[in-house]
Amino acid sequence: MIEVAMIAIAILVITLSLGVPLPYCFGAALMVMTLIGGVTMKGMMLWGFGQLANPVLLAIPLFVLAGTIMSQSGIAASLLRFINVFIGHIRGGLGVVAAVSCAVIGAISGSGLTGIAAIGPLLIPEMEKRGYPREYATALIANSSILGLLIPPSVTMIVYGWVTDTSILACFLATLGPGLMIMVSFSVINLIMSRKFNLVLDEKPSFSELSSEVAKRGFNAFPALLMPIIILGGIYGGIMTPTEAAAVSVIYAIPVGFLIYKGLKWDNFFHAGKEAATAVGAIMLMILFSMILSQMFVYESIPQQLVNGIFSITENKILLLILINILLFLVGMVVNDITAIILIAPLLLPLMNAIGVSPVQFAAIMGVNTAMGGVTPPYASILYLGARIGNVKVTKVIPPAMKLILFGYVPVVFLTSLWPDLSLFLPRLFGYDVSP
Amino acid sequence: SADTLKLSHVRPQGATIDKELHTFADNVSEATSGDVQIKLFPASALGDYTTVQERVSFGAIDMAVQPPATAADRRMQISVFPYLAGSWEQAHAIYGPGGIIRDTMAKLYDDQDIVMLAAYPVYFGGISLNVNNPHPASLEPNGIKVRVPAIKSFQLTGEALGYIPSPIPFSEAFTAVQTGVVNGIIGSGAEGYYASFRDVTKTYIPANTHFEVWYMLISRDVFSGLSQEDQNAMKEQAAAFEATRWETAAEDQKANEALLAKQGTQVVELSDEELAAMSKKVRAEVWPAILDDIGHDWAEPILDEVRQAEK
Amino acid sequence: MDRFAKYLLTALICLVALGQFVQVLTRYVFQVPLMGLEETMLYPTLWLYILGAVNASRENSHIRANVLEIFIKTRRGHTLLAITGEVISLIVALWLLFWAWDYTRYAWRVWRESPTLYIPTFYSDVALLAGLVLMVLYTLWHLLRHVQSLREGEPS
Ligand code: NA
Ligand code: NA
Repeated sequence: MIEVAMIAIAILVITLSLGVPLPYCFGAALMVMTLIGGVTMKGMMLWGFGQLANPVLLAIPLFVLAGTIMSQSGIAASLLRFINVFIGHIRGGLGVVAAVSCAVIGAISGSGLTGIAAIGPLLIPEMEKRGYPREYATALIANSSILGLLIPPSVTMIVYGWVTDTSILACFLATLGPGLMIMVSFSVINLIMSRKFNLVLDEKPSFSELSSEVAKRGFNAFPALLMPIIILGGIYGGIMTPTEAAAVSVIYAIPVGFLIYKGLKWDNFFHAGKEAATAVGAIMLMILFSMILSQMFVYESIPQQLVNGIFSITENKILLLILINILLFLVGMVVNDITAIILIAPLLLPLMNAIGVSPVQFAAIMGVNTAMGGVTPPYASILYLGARIGNVKVTKVIPPAMKLILFGYVPVVFLTSLWPDLSLFLPRLFGYDVSP
Repeated sequence: SADTLKLSHVRPQGATIDKELHTFADNVSEATSGDVQIKLFPASALGDYTTVQERVSFGAIDMAVQPPATAADRRMQISVFPYLAGSWEQAHAIYGPGGIIRDTMAKLYDDQDIVMLAAYPVYFGGISLNVNNPHPASLEPNGIKVRVPAIKSFQLTGEALGYIPSPIPFSEAFTAVQTGVVNGIIGSGAEGYYASFRDVTKTYIPANTHFEVWYMLISRDVFSGLSQEDQNAMKEQAAAFEATRWETAAEDQKANEALLAKQGTQVVELSDEELAAMSKKVRAEVWPAILDDIGHDWAEPILDEVRQAEK
Repeated sequence: MDRFAKYLLTALICLVALGQFVQVLTRYVFQVPLMGLEETMLYPTLWLYILGAVNASRENSHIRANVLEIFIKTRRGHTLLAITGEVISLIVALWLLFWAWDYTRYAWRVWRESPTLYIPTFYSDVALLAGLVLMVLYTLWHLLRHVQSLREGEPS
């Protein structure tokens, strides 16, 4: 049966490369399992559709909508200006502002696209004006945008917690450490790279200028800065579940966008609603069929066979973790983050149990790897969106993006796998069960 | 040729039921000279019990041991009616072989093309709280928010006992209790709370809210596809599986309460009078409301027989 | 059509957000039990997912990996690739449609109900069938468009 599963995966990859929409690629894999493998499709629609009914998943469209509203409303711009007071004037500071702003926006949005969508249009031209190459600025912001998936809340961690039955709140905290580390490493790389650029700098403000600017911009950014406090405070403070927090962030962002920042108009509000619903509809359909495929694998005991097969090659924990990272890198090249988690997490979780890796650490491993998939070609949705927003050719963005991935991302990915405390420290601190 | 039947159950590998089902599977294999093999899928790996029951009904999953799902037939709520049984003897009389609830459920399952092979008594339900309840037997509103399963009788029972019921999906229940979105849970018992919620169970109130019973189900198509001898052998083994459980269930419940106490949970002691008061209030307030939904004409005769069994 | 999609989808998503918001209010602020809201919200939620997916088909904005497209240089090649993709999509979508039909027939026969308000779940179950029918039609439409542009030698 494992052979049929392999064929199904092969068909999945082939149809993907042909440009077939993702949900149908999974449909094609289901056809293989049913028509060649004889696995029944009876009851699978019932089961899969029932899975979609879980309110946990509803957090995805709501977090995506909150992010879209934010990027339309001017909330992001005020955050950006606020952060810029502190770091804007140092050499290479604007690049650091990009990374830090994406992290702060990450604490409001659950998606990896919000950062680039919200601050790309503002910061890319500004960075270019100050002497950063346009393609570099685009690559930096697109790469930092991924922090939206690593700084909680995060749709990938919601999906991971849901398919593996792990505490979503613990998973949120698991990727926070690696996420902050990536933010720092991008900032450092940027400071080093900036030495080569011919940059125009702000004059260093005097202390009194600085404090009056902090007060002014801080006041302006206050409603935006309140948002992560409401969301994360609400979740961890026991007021609401992640799904409810996502809804509250939408309800909060609408009046703030319409009345305070005024960037939100009826026109782009309806546009944002449609965009979020459409993005999520495509994702949900894909979740439906990938869940069914995953269920067929469980039905045929593929995960256990896979573990046995892998153990016949090696039982060395470190070697296995490195192999898994390579596998996840390859998967991330061709599929989207949520899909990768639905398909891979249930397959590999038994293996993680067997080698004593906590499901919470595995959440972080899956989280950083699949988030990175958003910027690794050939299928690099976040990078492509960045290229569109920055108005540069994809082929030009790829070289600087690869540098950032190689030196900023990959080391953190390996650290996450090999140093459990990086991901487990915070969940443990907050009292979550992190035992293997 | 050997048939391998897929059996779904709701507890993790290594749990009591998992071990008992392994024994059952071995016995079936032996009794049918290897004709019938049973492969277990623990921890709801094939989906939650609601969809599993439907998939058993059209033969996509062969077997299951799990609580009844009420979506396809609301009358199935009769099995989890609150305060239906007050003691293990009464429970055995109505859920055990020949019992009125068991026979009723067998008929309802039959309507869904499912053969019920056995009943599996699990425990009397209780209330798990992550806070102290200074008056655990009080029936007055206490302001404590509890997660209840999305079944009407549980929601009404929670309210009748003075709590604020809040329907939160099971997958979020643990986190919700831990962060304080809700302060406790109604709908499970000592075993369930110890297995999944022991870290957030400060207080356990064995209020006997309902009698939790699971049923061993097999798809009718699958069952009638077996030879007559194999069918009989399975029925015999299922009966043995059930009989063993009726002997050990009460002890098992005590053991789980002891486990909770051992790890620091305050296990409240309720007197017979206090339990009777709870039962009286819930029966008076909740039963009529559910009967409106599932039909007085259908349910009254059944409840009459239940009352008979109490004497 | 675009206008209609915009209003409908925004209304649905705001409705479910509002439902969750009310849930928080009643539990945390007013501290009263609120039965049945959760299960009521399921209906707009599932329709939101399915209609969102239908709109992705209409706008042709489903997630695609398009790895081969990078290696193909001619317009004609791109159109041929697109046609291959749409033909595969159509076959798969029809097969999925068959199973959605099977599921809908089952849902019609069993007529399940939500746990506390006993609202028939058929009203959300049928969304899958409706969605796949529309998606098949849109796929067919995109396919015809590509074939026509191949005939006319224009980029599609
Ligand atoms: Na985030
Ligand atoms: Na990628």
